[in-house]
Amino acid sequence: MHIMEGFLDTPWWQLWFAVSIPAILYGIYKMNKLVKEKREILPLLAVAGAFIFVLSSLKLPSINGSCSHPTGTGIAAIIFGPAISAVLGTIVLLYQALFLAHGGLTTLGANVFSMGIIGPLVAYLIYKAGMKANLNFYAVVFLATAFGDWATYLITSAELALAYPAGDVLTLGGFLSSFEKFALIFAVTQAPLAIIEGAVSALLFKYVVNVKSDILVEMKVIEASVVRKLRGIPA
Amino acid sequence: MTNILDDYALMSPLRHRNNWLKLAIVLFGLLAGISSTSPVTPLFIAFCMGFTTVALGRAPLKLYLKLLLAPLGFAVTGVLIIALFSGSGQELLSFKLMGYSVLLRKDGLELALLVLSRSLSGMCCLYFLVLTTPMIELFAVLKATRLPESFIELSMLIYRYIFVFLGMAISIRYAQTVRLGYSSFSRSLRSLGMLGSTLFIRSWEQGDKLFLAMNSRCYDGKMTLFEVHRPVRVPELLLTSAYFLLTLALLYLTKNASIV
Repeated sequence: MHIMEGFLDTPWWQLWFAVSIPAILYGIYKMNKLVKEKREILPLLAVAGAFIFVLSSLKLPSINGSCSHPTGTGIAAIIFGPAISAVLGTIVLLYQALFLAHGGLTTLGANVFSMGIIGPLVAYLIYKAGMKANLNFYAVVFLATAFGDWATYLITSAELALAYPAGDVLTLGGFLSSFEKFALIFAVTQAPLAIIEGAVSALLFKYVVNVKSDILVEMKVIEASVVRKLRGIPA
Repeated sequence: MTNILDDYALMSPLRHRNNWLKLAIVLFGLLAGISSTSPVTPLFIAFCMGFTTVALGRAPLKLYLKLLLAPLGFAVTGVLIIALFSGSGQELLSFKLMGYSVLLRKDGLELALLVLSRSLSGMCCLYFLVLTTPMIELFAVLKATRLPESFIELSMLIYRYIFVFLGMAISIRYAQTVRLGYSSFSRSLRSLGMLGSTLFIRSWEQGDKLFLAMNSRCYDGKMTLFEVHRPVRVPELLLTSAYFLLTLALLYLTKNASIV
């Protein structure tokens, strides 16, 4: 869910930039280190970024008639980890603002924080925890993507509520009451959207495992033994 | 999704103007819009930018209006929430909705109108940039700033591959649609999953090929760009400064104005 251009008032959009920029710089630092180690990773990152952009511009089938797009960052987080996802997410969000008019330039910081940093981070943590607990890979992908989306949407509601608390002055009560309203109304579109995106992501990984699982093994997303189990091949 | 705005920028006559000037106009508009306290200045900015984009930039008017309406869903929802739940002043209207009592207050309405006008001006500024300046020109500008080299390099590669994969996605989607892949909800989920995975695998292979191709051409992490030197002309400078001054004056004059 993108916050539109001009929606955040003066102290807030700068604040979200200030919060996001260190995370992006850390991501760039990690990326540079990775590229130095393995030079072939940069073109891969580039195509992954383009893949996220194209994925996020596809319309999801919707239940309630609202026009909804996947964020695609959950998949990036599972494959590349949250730090690099933040960099890819920033570039993708910039292009979305410029090409599709989703989001904006002053609100880029806030959008990067919710969609590029917190969403992927939550997705990544759930993915890691789920894989450690030996759950089914597809179920874990579903949960990671869905919860990543929900985290994004809650953070976006919080960002809006902080900028527009009930009763004009920022108090905890005003923030909570405003947050509740933003979250409640956006839940109509965002709650089913996250489930649909989770299902599509799980299906996506299912086809990838069936057709070209060596990519995932090579990127250390899943281990070879898990792939064998998923495809029903005895070790 | 077939509507990539960059195509229009490539045809715009304003493409051949100085990039820094255009960027300055856009940034000024964004900042002035966001820091104004009455809806008058943002509306003025929106009008000026819209006029410039359509009349001087030759963007199709129909397309422009359609673009402005596109993000309306989010804007209207957000603005309604602000209008109905914020503020503490005089009540204008109150009614009950699903058990919630809803109050429309004077300052809430004012804030909502301000936010709406600011978004509108922000959108117009963005569209001015997008519809007159192709991304290729912006890369040259980005190179001149001190952003990390790898970040810019990555942006350029992503930009290139967006078009490759978008074409791929569109043709796969057509193929799926004519085979009734989107005829029901569960089928669309399945088709979308397949489309995503095919895209993913193809992009991976493309990435390998790209590395090979660039490596064999001695890629060392830097692509050099040719930046066309375009001096700012006097009429452009005059028009821009007139616009800046007028906006600033309006910003100052409407500091305490209220329209409700």
